[in-house]
Amino acid sequence: MTSFLFGILLLLFALFGTSLFVIIAAVALSAFYFAEIDSSAVIIELYRLASQPILLAIPLFTFAGYLLAESNTPQRLVALSRAFFGWLPGGLGIVTLVSCAIFTAFTGASGVTIIALGGLLYPVLKKENYPEKFNLGILTASGNLGLLFPPSLPIILYGLISETSIDKLFIAGIIPGLLMVALMSLYSVNRMYKVNPNVESFSAKKAWQATKNAVWEIPLPFIILVGIYGGFFTVTEAAAVTAFYVLIVEVFIYKEVSLTKGLPKVMKDSMILVGGILVILSAAMGLANYMIYDEIPMQILEWMKNFITSKVAFLLVLNLFLLVVGALMDIFSAILVIVPLITPIAMEFGVDPVHLGVIFLANLGIGYSTPPVGMNLFIASFRFEKPVLKLYVATIPFLIILLIALALITYIPELSLWLVDFVGV
Amino acid sequence: MKIIEKLNSWIERAETIVLVTVLGLMVVFAFLQVVLRNIFHEGILWGDILLRHLVLWVGFIGASLATREKKHINIDLFSRIMSDRGKNIVHLLTNLFSVFICYLLADAGWTFVQDEKMMGAEIFAEIPAWYFQIIIPVGFFLMAFRFLVLSLENIIYVFRPEKGGDK
Repeated sequence: MTSFLFGILLLLFALFGTSLFVIIAAVALSAFYFAEIDSSAVIIELYRLASQPILLAIPLFTFAGYLLAESNTPQRLVALSRAFFGWLPGGLGIVTLVSCAIFTAFTGASGVTIIALGGLLYPVLKKENYPEKFNLGILTASGNLGLLFPPSLPIILYGLISETSIDKLFIAGIIPGLLMVALMSLYSVNRMYKVNPNVESFSAKKAWQATKNAVWEIPLPFIILVGIYGGFFTVTEAAAVTAFYVLIVEVFIYKEVSLTKGLPKVMKDSMILVGGILVILSAAMGLANYMIYDEIPMQILEWMKNFITSKVAFLLVLNLFLLVVGALMDIFSAILVIVPLITPIAMEFGVDPVHLGVIFLANLGIGYSTPPVGMNLFIASFRFEKPVLKLYVATIPFLIILLIALALITYIPELSLWLVDFVGV
Repeated sequence: MKIIEKLNSWIERAETIVLVTVLGLMVVFAFLQVVLRNIFHEGILWGDILLRHLVLWVGFIGASLATREKKHINIDLFSRIMSDRGKNIVHLLTNLFSVFICYLLADAGWTFVQDEKMMGAEIFAEIPAWYFQIIIPVGFFLMAFRFLVLSLENIIYVFRPEKGGDK
């Protein structure tokens, strides 16, 4: 009874804006207290992080992503994809999707994409007479599109907390991620080719100019992919190379972030996010340790077995559950709290851990744009100064497409696993 | 309150300096390690373990700054529909609760550091591990302090709305 009341109180606290790490830590501390284990056990779990090589990749990739966002990379990225896809009928939809996906992969889906790229793309779409509803919908729904592409931070966190190989996860997300971009591109071209038939013809000169402008940034995805899968370095080393490379390029070559003013600000802002994630990560690790000690996943499993007997039924329930979670929580805390709980259960139902990771990320990402409380809707409402209700309506068609993609990703494991086998990591 | 605010921004300045220095070193040193390993086939042996401990430093300082700037990850479903006054009253409660939890974590961290110190744990080459672990209790303590300042601001708002608090 006491623990029930305590739980309700914590839930209320959480819904009224208490930092999530405080809530999770409160649960962990009280669990250890009632199990008569010294509270320093929470800290021992936290400190265990310092033995994980991948820990270093988190601040380095985050720093690199923030640095890219702070310089003129978004402009160059949009110009580049416009030069290559803008001439297609209805091509600006594709430009939007591709730029957002690449940008999110590097900035880790923290709402930065809508803020940084939305502001650039929205006026462009409007000027080319794309209808407002379409523009708002595509920009809101694209906010997390690149989540499945390396080196996205949510993938790293998933790998860290579930002890799944990040090398495999990076590869596994590629086809599902491309599938989402492709389905959404098909939809937008299909809807917009009449509104916007071939406004600009392909210009080799423009394409060359845009490529030349972004010549220092174009190698980035390749450095990461070739570096890791060519066997040159680990994910953590890739993070080290990326952070250093981006620092040199943006501060010393493009000179768009100043060494004395801009750089410290980027460092501070990016480490505020890293700090926020780190404390949730530490609290969640303490909690996960307790949950496994108390065999809570197994208890849930026993209870679930009463009405879920097949893998398909399990996956269906998982999809719905994660949509709700993704709409309520940010992706980082959702991964850190839910994954330790679900992974052992999913294993019992025969779901591959790498495939499970892809389902988690795709699912939680869609939750972000799901009415009524998905976070992207509020960020977009703030960014484009439009009422949230209008965004609900605008986002729905894109949401349906994303849900179709999610179903394919969930029920065809080969979409995630085939490339992993093919590359042989 | 003025003195507290002064102390608060003084801490922030110190934190920023440490943060920028440590992260700068990390970016350069981590890259150097990759170069050493790929060209000379041997990195500095204790390099990686040092780097991971530095992550704890930048992370905890970042978390402390996140508290000051109210940028911790939260859900905050209900505050959207509350008046400023109601928001401050509710946030006074949640902030005080956060002070309490952070204090408990700082205390647990302190016990942990004491234990490690007593056992003589080293991270490498006779350098005691607690030199680096100390950031755990210090970080949580700084967060407790920041949440306390936020609660004070909430109280002030209830009586004198023009002077700060959550809006």
